[in-house]
Amino acid sequence: MPELTIAVAKGRMQDDALQLLARVGIRVGQAALKSRRLAIEDESGVYRFVFVKPSDVPVYVEHGIADCGVVGRDVLLESGADLLQPLDLRIGYCRIAVAVRAGTASPSSGALRVATKYPQIAAAHFGARGVPVEIIQLSGSVELAPVLGLADCIVDLVETGQTLSENGLEIVEEITDSSARLVVNRASYQLKAARVSCLIELLNAWLEKEVAG
Amino acid sequence: MSEPLSKIPVGMRYYTGAEARLRRGVEAAIMGVFDGWSYEEITTPCVDYLALFERGMGYEQAHTAFRFTDCDGRMLALRPDVTSSVARAAATLFAGKIRPLRFCYASQAFRQRPPSHAEWRRESTQLGCELFGAGGSGAEIEMLSVAAEILTALNLSGDYRITVNSVEIFNGIAEHLALDELQRETMRQLVDKRDAAELQKFLARFGTTETERASFSHLIRLSGKNEILEEARHIITNPRSVAALADLEALWRIIRALDLADVCDIDLGDVSGLDYYTGLTFKIYVAGAGTRVGGGGRYDNLTANFGRREPAVGFVLDLDALTDVLMRRANPAPVEVTGGESFPLDDLDPATLFKDARRRRARRERVLINFEG
Repeated sequence: MPELTIAVAKGRMQDDALQLLARVGIRVGQAALKSRRLAIEDESGVYRFVFVKPSDVPVYVEHGIADCGVVGRDVLLESGADLLQPLDLRIGYCRIAVAVRAGTASPSSGALRVATKYPQIAAAHFGARGVPVEIIQLSGSVELAPVLGLADCIVDLVETGQTLSENGLEIVEEITDSSARLVVNRASYQLKAARVSCLIELLNAWLEKEVAG
Repeated sequence: MSEPLSKIPVGMRYYTGAEARLRRGVEAAIMGVFDGWSYEEITTPCVDYLALFERGMGYEQAHTAFRFTDCDGRMLALRPDVTSSVARAAATLFAGKIRPLRFCYASQAFRQRPPSHAEWRRESTQLGCELFGAGGSGAEIEMLSVAAEILTALNLSGDYRITVNSVEIFNGIAEHLALDELQRETMRQLVDKRDAAELQKFLARFGTTETERASFSHLIRLSGKNEILEEARHIITNPRSVAALADLEALWRIIRALDLADVCDIDLGDVSGLDYYTGLTFKIYVAGAGTRVGGGGRYDNLTANFGRREPAVGFVLDLDALTDVLMRRANPAPVEVTGGESFPLDDLDPATLFKDARRRRARRERVLINFEG
């Protein structure tokens, strides 16, 4: 019976996260990884990993179904989940930025139309500046919105900026940067204190060594 | 409008059958423990002035309540907590009564906005007790003893954890760093989230040494026993925090003497409710619940808002969260269902039927009359 369940965001972060865990001695067998199972145990049998959509990681952890999770700060900001965030894992770096069609000025009057997968972050960002906005929530291919005229600008995740430039967009403002965080459920943090702090210390020792080296 | 009639508002629910019986049993068990420690039950108004809760809980918390207006235009609220009105009663209606004054309650509280996604309920039942007029560690130990007895009575021995802290440790540090209100809240959030990396960056702005920052960040990330206090004493040196650490250590000695050290942990990172509490805070966690099921602490400034300053300490348990946990367990039973076999009385005339039924009821038997016969 595994002692800790860790929810890992599927997609761009998954491989980096598993690699990092392998470096501190928490390994997942290749056979298990290649299977289509969504819940697998590590070789020691202490940890169980579940692979879920990034935006579902905070949900599983907040409800205590998973004790810990690995997920981007962008997802955490958007979800507003009440979680502990003891470690910055320094993987999955990206930025959340405002981008417009290259060469266009933002409209001087009326509400700014903002297309985004991050309605909360976008609303908070423009709200803090007192800019009236109409938030248009999309679930993918956000870069299209300004090109086709659905929106004046987008708020989106930027890794290399290549997708933006290929679609004729440019960054006008960076809202914040993001990287993967280790998140922990508040109750698990107390009830499984020994296990959780062991995991934190393992990862922290590795991360500090990395910085020093 | 074509909303189905079956729809009920988000965050509300029904209880029936085994779950309702269990819930009733849990409530009775908890109120029984309160009674055993001489707490008098108090029922406070479900609807009260919003101003009461603003004074009691602070503006932000009070405004999570459902609000509406009275006929004279004053703002009313469905009570979002019970402590505010109990504290007002203690300071006004019961001002002349001998101290210490002990009250307990089982009352619903309502919030328009739930505190988090996992705590989705907007109506919850709070079982709580408040002790007015007793400062010092004695009253605090009474709280911990009552809480531990309740959790044991609910068959949760070995599956619960009580974390203790003193808000004065954080307050001392904030004062020492001369933080303004906004900075203080930023630091509180970082500590609350155990975000050690961001906390170190934050502290770097306030003339702390690197060793201090690293040690302090390490400290808030751990919970544990006495060794936490040992470590803290080396790192935290401002007089206000040091006094709080000494109090916590004295409390811990009693906790250990009462054999409660196994179920308690010191958690210096617990800094929620900072504006409300004035000393000890504690939180209660139970295996199977993703969020805390209860908590409390010392709030010596609250009754002053109602015109009579006196020390006070109290805690609440969330009946719904406890019922959920116990319902999911294999043996969800602090509860006896009274009554024997039910019996159908189909073919008799009503007078004979009810004569028999009433005779059985007089013997406390359970009857179930079948009208369809």
